Amino acid sequence: MKLIHLVRKEFLELFRQREMLPLMIAAPLIQIILLGYVVSTDINRVPVRLVNRSASVDARRLIRRISSTPLFAVVGTGMADVDALEVFRRGEALAVVEFRDRDDGGSPFPDILVSLDGVDSNTAAIAAGYLNGILRNYLEERARRMGRAPPVSHRTLIRYNPGLRSINYMGPGIVALLLSILALFMTSISLVREKEQQTMDTLMMSRLRPWQIYLGKALPMAMVGLVEMALGTLVVMLWFRVPVRGNLLYLFLAAVVFLAAILSLALLISTLAGTQQQALFFAWFFMVTFIMLSGLFTPVENIPSWLMFLADINPVRYLIAMIREIFLKGNGIEFFAGDLLRLGAIAAGAVSVSLLSFRRFISK
Amino acid sequence: MKRIKAVIVKEFAHILRDPASLTIVFLMPLLMMIVFSYAIRFDLEKVETGVVNYDGGRQAKELIDAYANNRYFRLLDLRRGHSRPLARGEALIRSGEIKQIVVIPGDFSRRMARGEPAEIGVIIDGSDSNVASLIYQYNEMLLRGFSPAVGLTPMRVSTTVHFNPELKSNVFFIPGIVAILLVMVAALLTSLSIAREKESGSIDLLFISPLRSWEIILGKTVPYLIVALLEEGLILVFARLWFRIPFRGDPLVLLLFSLLYILSGLALGILVSTIAPSQKSAMFAALLITLLPSIMLSGFIFPLDSLAPVIRGISYVVPARYFLVIIRGVILKGGGVHHFLVEGLALAGFSTLLLAGAMARFRGIRRRRS
Repeated sequence: MKLIHLVRKEFLELFRQREMLPLMIAAPLIQIILLGYVVSTDINRVPVRLVNRSASVDARRLIRRISSTPLFAVVGTGMADVDALEVFRRGEALAVVEFRDRDDGGSPFPDILVSLDGVDSNTAAIAAGYLNGILRNYLEERARRMGRAPPVSHRTLIRYNPGLRSINYMGPGIVALLLSILALFMTSISLVREKEQQTMDTLMMSRLRPWQIYLGKALPMAMVGLVEMALGTLVVMLWFRVPVRGNLLYLFLAAVVFLAAILSLALLISTLAGTQQQALFFAWFFMVTFIMLSGLFTPVENIPSWLMFLADINPVRYLIAMIREIFLKGNGIEFFAGDLLRLGAIAAGAVSVSLLSFRRFISK
Repeated sequence: MKRIKAVIVKEFAHILRDPASLTIVFLMPLLMMIVFSYAIRFDLEKVETGVVNYDGGRQAKELIDAYANNRYFRLLDLRRGHSRPLARGEALIRSGEIKQIVVIPGDFSRRMARGEPAEIGVIIDGSDSNVASLIYQYNEMLLRGFSPAVGLTPMRVSTTVHFNPELKSNVFFIPGIVAILLVMVAALLTSLSIAREKESGSIDLLFISPLRSWEIILGKTVPYLIVALLEEGLILVFARLWFRIPFRGDPLVLLLFSLLYILSGLALGILVSTIAPSQKSAMFAALLITLLPSIMLSGFIFPLDSLAPVIRGISYVVPARYFLVIIRGVILKGGGVHHFLVEGLALAGFSTLLLAGAMARFRGIRRRRS
């Protein structure tokens, strides 16, 4: 029962400062809405500079095709030579495509010289692919008109997310990221703060057992985190119309285990850090590492095997994986029991280490 | 000048008094840069692909060989030992064991031999939309190469890739990582500076000192500017030596723009620090403002050209957006000052505005207190 009083005290402390409520609840929701619009990973409107030094009809037709597709945005067309390197340095375009008549006159088509800015390797490769596709389609249509062999095509079905709407995948993922930021950060400075302000002694004089103090520190933030998660989920469901095919109770379960792992890690940071600033930087370090290796932006499979242990102990990665199962695939618990168990093991490990460290922290 | 120096010395003393924090601030970004450089990669390798081949012909076998010999795919024959291969494939997609199913219909070889349009079916797991669109593109690429040469003289296309001829993604990512780590470290460092003095009450000492408000703000910024610049130098030397990222531009050009960029990050932190009532809210606000927007709205991963125009508008208030252009431009493309005038002006504008805001805010609190 005494625990309840501590929880209430922590809640009071959390919201005593007027700015904390909007900062913890409203600011993350605004970010979800803002970032939800960003997360399109489809590459289009690649800026391209065209140079036409050919008088042929083909060159004109191809230029028309490149100009009319949304995949490219033509930033200029001219007849004069351009210095591709300079165009790239100025950041005007990512590709320069030049049409030139061949000197020997042996081919019916103009020569095509493509220069790519390779700095953004992904976009460059995709832009080259788009361009090849346009040229190839052009040739194929001519061939078809002349009755030649058509190519092999494919008809693709995309399961779970037929339009490949990025928000369906990234939206719930961003909610998970903001939840991690909030929980890890707020809790990691909680104990240091009491140490800095010397209010820890008051807490120790109470007859609370160490584990009760520990729980009292973790529970309020867990509740705020769950509220945040619920609100965020509502926003992506109602505002962005992200479908939820699975059972939201599973999401709740996943979030609880996740919060246990994150909050105990945060308390561990809090017992080890000497000042709020140190706690902040430790929390930041874990947060950014967890987020970058979460599989939300780039596939987890790409992490080299000698670094895989970092992904294996990353709670955010498991939450993202489970969110994908629950939201889009509508899978039952049997499909992500492995992830849940591993997350549970991380949580158990983090709780026991941080409890030990907390005991030592208190006895000092 | 002498008075600003006094504040700088005091702030430096504060930084050096806590060597643990300093070590953390220096080592963590370096560690993160190394880890991210290895772990953040776009290209997929070995996409698990289930194959259902209903065609015994030669062309179908050639297509399967094309998939098998492509380094992007790893094949699994779904028909072997199973009477309902498609259902099995769907179940494997559901459990995440394979990412796509390729179905070759029974008339595939016959149609190809006759020169009729041939088609295959593909089912892709779309639950990770990034991965799904990559797989889609890989399939396109493979089929384009597999299609028989159309009966016309092909066009002669010669492609040159500049600056990153092997299209390595870490050449793209490493300068970006430097940029986003820098702005976060800068904003977090100064977000505490005023809030801490507010919490401990020592701010009153500053208030009654003869120092002008702008002198205090500048004095609190300069030490962290030096710390962050050293940090950047350390990470860049490491990127050059360890990851062999080419450095084609003039380091002085980069230094010039780095000063402006770091200053805008520090100024943001200071402004937050003057507004927030406690260290906690200052840190959290600085974190929220810099963390996800710098990663997602800057062109660090997602190219800004592809964003909807309205959303691209929002990215103009993210300082990292400008510095990403600059650092990639200087390091990888060898660009000079004249290439980045707009970006430099934007960063200078941010720094001035944010610093002015912080000074005005600080002056406001001071007047109220006295």
